Amino acid sequence: MKDLVDGAMARAMEFQADGGSGEFYRRLAEGRFQSTRCLCCGRTAFPPRPFCPGCGAGEVEWADLPRRGRLHAFTQQGRALRFLRPEVLGLVELEGVGLVLSRIDAPFEALSLGQELEVAFLPVGGGVVLHQFRPV
Amino acid sequence: MALAGGAMSALTKLRALDSFELVRCVVEEALRDAGIPRGEVRSLAVTPPGLAGHSTAMFVSRLAAYLGLPLRSLACLENGGTSGALALRWAMHEVRSGRCPVAVAAGADQRLDTRAEPGETVEAFIDRNVHTTVAVYGPYDGPYGLGAPIPYYAMSAQRYMAETGATPTDLAWAAVRLREHAQGHERAMFRGRTLTVEEVLASEMVCPPLHLADCSQFVSGAAAVVVVAPEVARALNRPPVWLRGLGEYHHPSSFSAGAVDLASFPSVREAAREAYADAGVGPRDLDVAEVYGVFSSTELILCEDLGLFPRGRSGAAFREGRASRGGEVVVDPSGGRLSLGHPACATPLLETLEVLLQLQGRAGARQVPGARLGLVHAEHGMLNGSMVSIWERDA
Repeated sequence: MKDLVDGAMARAMEFQADGGSGEFYRRLAEGRFQSTRCLCCGRTAFPPRPFCPGCGAGEVEWADLPRRGRLHAFTQQGRALRFLRPEVLGLVELEGVGLVLSRIDAPFEALSLGQELEVAFLPVGGGVVLHQFRPV
Repeated sequence: MALAGGAMSALTKLRALDSFELVRCVVEEALRDAGIPRGEVRSLAVTPPGLAGHSTAMFVSRLAAYLGLPLRSLACLENGGTSGALALRWAMHEVRSGRCPVAVAAGADQRLDTRAEPGETVEAFIDRNVHTTVAVYGPYDGPYGLGAPIPYYAMSAQRYMAETGATPTDLAWAAVRLREHAQGHERAMFRGRTLTVEEVLASEMVCPPLHLADCSQFVSGAAAVVVVAPEVARALNRPPVWLRGLGEYHHPSSFSAGAVDLASFPSVREAAREAYADAGVGPRDLDVAEVYGVFSSTELILCEDLGLFPRGRSGAAFREGRASRGGEVVVDPSGGRLSLGHPACATPLLETLEVLLQLQGRAGARQVPGARLGLVHAEHGMLNGSMVSIWERDA
């Protein structure tokens, strides 16, 4: 069952890829948590894009995202399609970048707003690696 | 231009009719309600019959053929939860252009059947559901297994409570008041089923802090309204309801991606500001409002972003009856998304229909006495984009 979901997810992510997601996940699988930074105005965008959504410039470079962020909000879903068991989801605020949805690798009860978190890697099968965050 | 009439279908958990019949029935009934023969319709704008599931490519082309209506304007419009409002916007454009004195906007939503279909293999079933999830929530959020947008709104509720001091009881009061309103609506999903604050707080915790009773129920159903030019409106038997103002704003974000605030939404504030200015009125002038509050927390935030109640005070306003009959403004007299039922693509047209009935004095047991000015709000994403319209009956 899990293999079927993993395979379907990998195919769906490829089918629904945008101009940045393919490269984002390739880098994540290599242990690099990165997004695109505008060579013109310096803005780091998340999600990544092959252009700057702020100033419209066409030249960007891949750059490291902050490895630490603050927990802006979090919740828990009981029957996640992906993980088939209770999962904590959160929005992590990365300074200078904005909010990033991720899995939070900690019990719901142990978390509080504003808490400092650090990124970790989450291999999920099908050759896909996701990011997740853990309390520091 | 004016609204001349409208209709809604029964709201059902599962699909009760095929999509063509569902739309045909509400279109025919809306025209009967307006007193306009079907042969006078020049423009038809619809939504897709649902936001997820099977392909609906060419839906409106086949629908028009099914209806047997020759038309000068035909469109299917989709932008998430605003789809119904967008169909209405298209109908209004076509009336305003002068080409189409009578235009119909219809929206329908058929609840996605998440069960395996007859003969469907496990592989195909998983593939279909995973693809739908990633298609709706994208390649960044989709892989985390969101089966519905509830986690986003739960996190919005958490931020709203943390920033304003609102409590779970405040959220519960929104749900309870909407349930009371729904008792006056003969087609509400939750008619005949009362709800207390204690019951809301004791209902299953779906995504903390949202309980099951804080969430709307996604249902199948349809609604349609008839938009007409002024000369058509004045010739009809009923008092027309005139468009007074429009506002629309789409923040460049989608669900949480790019969002700047979860506890107050730029799209709502900006769309409302434009609509109020366009109409030359303020929130205090409104008698009735139908808002796209799909969760109790969203209902409270929307009331504040629309300027109906001060920041963090909507829960108290609901508790004190200030958003119900006898209060300053009646918010969601229909029962709203939580207790009327929420067929997403049709919802903005259900809201418009309710404001139409209220302003024409035809809302029966839930009539807001003397209602003259009404507002309709719709949103897509997690409030990333909003559309607001303001309507007024003849003085």
